[in-house]
Amino acid sequence: MNTTALIYLLTAAAVFGIGVHGLLQARQVLRQLLAINLMGGAIFLLLITLGGGAVGPPDPVPQAMVLTGIVIAVSATAFALALLLRLQDATGTSELDPNDGA
Amino acid sequence: MIEIAIDLIIAMGVVGLALQTILGASVFRAILMFIVFGLLMAMAWARLHAPDLALAEAAIGAGITGALLLVTWRRLQAMDGRTPRVGIAARAPWLSIASGIFAAALIVALGWVSLSLPAEPAAAGELAWQRLPEVGVSNPVTGVLLAFRAYDTLMEMGVLLAAWLGARAVASELRPGALPGPAHAEVPLVGALLSLVVPISLLVAVYLLQAGGSAPGGAFQGGAVLAAGGVLLCLSGRLEAAERSSITERIGLVLGLAVFSCIGLVMLFMGEPMLAMPGVWAIYLVETALLLSIALTLVLLFAAAPGLRRAP
Amino acid sequence: MTLQETIAAVLLAAGCLFYIAGTIGLLRFPDVYSRLHALTKADNLGLLLVASGLAVQSGSLRIGAVLLIVWLLGLLAATVSCHLIARHALHATPPERRP
Repeated sequence: MNTTALIYLLTAAAVFGIGVHGLLQARQVLRQLLAINLMGGAIFLLLITLGGGAVGPPDPVPQAMVLTGIVIAVSATAFALALLLRLQDATGTSELDPNDGA
Repeated sequence: MIEIAIDLIIAMGVVGLALQTILGASVFRAILMFIVFGLLMAMAWARLHAPDLALAEAAIGAGITGALLLVTWRRLQAMDGRTPRVGIAARAPWLSIASGIFAAALIVALGWVSLSLPAEPAAAGELAWQRLPEVGVSNPVTGVLLAFRAYDTLMEMGVLLAAWLGARAVASELRPGALPGPAHAEVPLVGALLSLVVPISLLVAVYLLQAGGSAPGGAFQGGAVLAAGGVLLCLSGRLEAAERSSITERIGLVLGLAVFSCIGLVMLFMGEPMLAMPGVWAIYLVETALLLSIALTLVLLFAAAPGLRRAP
Repeated sequence: MTLQETIAAVLLAAGCLFYIAGTIGLLRFPDVYSRLHALTKADNLGLLLVASGLAVQSGSLRIGAVLLIVWLLGLLAATVSCHLIARHALHATPPERRP
């Protein structure tokens, strides 16, 4: 394992963990969306590093998957933001009640 | 040695910005940190020999996502107080500590497992490289996206369209289209900037599309750059929300899916596998249609409107 | 090291110096206006020096022209965004507290 791959694998693990923590402890939905996007970025980083990006051109299949993933992430985020506007309109707040509907 | 140092600086920056994103004192600050995180991720992609991803991350991950987040934050502020607030119970403080411990354990486990995996191209990737000359493009990512795994790309367009339809369905009567706040006072410099940058965004989009065959680029990056031009026009009030989608906009929204599916089906009837590309011209035709659809969908998502029209 | 590489290295190093100066200004200056002043003035020049360093290093007219366009676009974006931020800051402060 070369050093570059090592650095980026550990970075991906760290960013994913940070995203999970952010998702669990955030109050505002907007922050939770940011955390989910961080987790997505970490997974993309993991895929490309494991595809051999640290030593040369990475495997084109995971590259295409990550490119697809980036567009899916922005689509999902945009839809979630529309839901968030709806939530604000209905409840007057952009936070989710942790005890609601459990 | 110097390369390791650069990797370390990028890695520390990425991790630091991710921390700032979840810990940022205000939501606005968190969004800004996320945008910078995306830009630094683009540098990480460049270091990992993936310039296609670097372009996509900078244009879509940081640019369009950032613009969407910021404009939604602004709209939420404008809507604040419109409806009475629902009381929300406070969360137990130990939950934050517990999730922190859980996340730390997850980081260790994930790091441990990923280090034991082989970091090299797998069989499918090798095969894609070998069979690339049959496709007629020399950029392997474009080849995989449009020839070897075309159904992924087709479904991706489906997801983008579904996201727009979903956004229309849930937020249509809110009419958040018009941007509130400090009057869009006409600043002379903005007009000058637009008259230069919008044509350049069109030029760069077409260049990225054309370059996508043999160099980093392609429909997604080009579409995002074109969408950025549209977002600028919306932000400066040149384009404003319309009540309904015009027929041109409806065609534009489904153009990518329609052209892609048509070619796929025609090939099926001619006895080829579905979605097989009859030639390089078909790849460029599909990519052009995808670019237009992606750009239009992203701009309409940003404007949160069914359609756009020129401001009077 | 050839003459070409030496010139490129000097230009790149000078560009980095301007970037460092601009960043220190951004972090240390007291208010929006002086921060903007540090950021745009120093970084525009830094970008010019880095771009010309890279152009010299590449030794290609085409890449040089592309880098020139990059610099011009950066200059344009920095000018307009700096103007808009300063304008917003000015409108956000009450008249008696304006500098």
